[in-house]
Amino acid sequence: MKQLSGKVLFVILLVLTLAGCAGNPPADESGAGGVHLILAAYTTPREAYGEIIPLFQAMWQAEHGQTVTFEESYQGSGAQSRAVVEGFEADVVALSLEADVTRIVDAGLITHDWKVVGASGMVSTSVVAFAVRAGNPLVIDDWEDLAAEGVEVLTPNPATSGGAMWNVLALYGAALRGQISGVPGGDPGAAKEFLKSVLANVIVMDDSARDSITNYEAGVGDVAITYENEALVGQQAGSDYELVIPSSTILIENPVAVVDEYVDEHGTRLVAEAFVEFLFTPEAQQIFAKYGLRSVDPDVAASRGDQYPPVADLFTIEYFGGWPKAREKIFGETGVFNSAIQEVQGQ
Amino acid sequence: MEKLGPRLKTKKTRSPEMGLRVLSFTFIAVLIVIPMLVIVQDAFREGFDEFWHQVTAPIAASAIILTLWTSALMTAINALMGLMTAFVLVRYEFPGKRIFNAIIDLPLAIPTLVTGVMLVILYGPQQTLGAFLKEGLGFEIIFAPPGIVLALLFITFPFVVRTIQPVLLELDQAQEHAAATLGARGWTIFRRVIFPALALPTLSGSLLGFARAVGEFGAVVIVAGNIPFKSQTAAVYVLGAVESENRLAASAISVVLIAISLAVILVTNRVLARRPES
Repeated sequence: MKQLSGKVLFVILLVLTLAGCAGNPPADESGAGGVHLILAAYTTPREAYGEIIPLFQAMWQAEHGQTVTFEESYQGSGAQSRAVVEGFEADVVALSLEADVTRIVDAGLITHDWKVVGASGMVSTSVVAFAVRAGNPLVIDDWEDLAAEGVEVLTPNPATSGGAMWNVLALYGAALRGQISGVPGGDPGAAKEFLKSVLANVIVMDDSARDSITNYEAGVGDVAITYENEALVGQQAGSDYELVIPSSTILIENPVAVVDEYVDEHGTRLVAEAFVEFLFTPEAQQIFAKYGLRSVDPDVAASRGDQYPPVADLFTIEYFGGWPKAREKIFGETGVFNSAIQEVQGQ
Repeated sequence: MEKLGPRLKTKKTRSPEMGLRVLSFTFIAVLIVIPMLVIVQDAFREGFDEFWHQVTAPIAASAIILTLWTSALMTAINALMGLMTAFVLVRYEFPGKRIFNAIIDLPLAIPTLVTGVMLVILYGPQQTLGAFLKEGLGFEIIFAPPGIVLALLFITFPFVVRTIQPVLLELDQAQEHAAATLGARGWTIFRRVIFPALALPTLSGSLLGFARAVGEFGAVVIVAGNIPFKSQTAAVYVLGAVESENRLAASAISVVLIAISLAVILVTNRVLARRPES
């Protein structure tokens, strides 16, 4: 047995040695050459960051004579947030919803009050809207049209997609606020019935908002519930679907934050904070606006007013009492969504 | 299966056999057993009641049931078609046979995600064929359970063919000739002489395919539509549970899938052990 355990020990040591070799990044971040920033973002603003980052690098080079290199990671907001919690050492996170930053705060990795940076820690906004086929053949103008018989609707699965949660909240909220004709306001039962009638028309629930719009672009369905910015970017890329903004919808707010634990470990706090502040400058905000996102800078927003029409009845997550409450009441195990879909599909 | 190697009852622990054993046991432990134990432990960390609560939650239970019946239907179709294909490949000569034979293994090499994409391109509702089936015949394939069965068929087809083929190759044709001289016709020969020899490999091949299908994710997530209670399978439900922080549900459903696969593999091994020596 002695020899056996010796061999096992050898194997374990070998594995650990190999793992150790693989896990050590080159550690010369504060060296004379420059500074390295890791940005963990959700997928939507990828093109915007592609333009913003070079501007920031030039600015930092001019002001500090130091080269900033970036390592950019883009994936679904929830997955990105969990990766950071589990040890992906991002200096800055840019995510699609506050709950994903809260998860990092709860893990003790963000220790400062990130909501005081910029306007409210939210670097861009958008609204839940519809993509409809060219010429809007089914005349889909507002939420009630999604419940019409035979309309095929696409929306991602709220269990896997933050975007889908916004979609359901926009739809349910509009109904609850009495903004949908035929649905009495302030009546959760009626709002849920309306949610059910739209869910009955949903033919695919994709993993993510991006997959959903990709499926729509491939020709599936009559209308996709999506973000305004997704539809605008799709149009920029040459898709011929049209954007319809409902009269009542939810304001999507996208947070950005420096991850204290990791910037202190890397010695990159200064440049990370400067980068986050830079995202709120009119220069950077114009780039977000260019790629479909509503600016949080009032002047930039005003200058882009024709591209981003005002919404008659715009509400925020606070209408549902904030994310923790919305998650529990709407998306919890016995929440409105699960119960509605069960009544629609199951028996 | 124990008779594979001679059992040396020596105490020479330095023999290469010992080293091999240690290495392979360690490998299996690190690679398979420990991760499985971790997930089982995770699934039961809040007790059996909580585990059961997760598994019997309406959405989860319906996802498991959908997974099982689509896999079972696929298994039945595969058993029949796999048997026929193997028979054709072994017994008949035709031009292009070698290419035909090679194509059978292709599903193993194609990423299952790509399988899903291919099926959507072919049968999707926006495609000519898919639109004809849906509008003309009222039959939905993609974004409905038939799409799941189709994807699973594609992925697991090689399992049956490849378990039957070697048995059929070794099958002594003298029996068939004897049956023929006794006046038996083609179908009778197949039913009474050939099939009894192939029944076990057919069963074991299809059961392996079943075990594989139960956990399939990549292709299914693309073709199924993923609507809870309608077209969301267990593996896709697990993804949802992971994404929405419900790790207990993810682990519990995973354990159910592992248990089903393990049971099926054990049955398969029993079936193989009973295989008559040729």
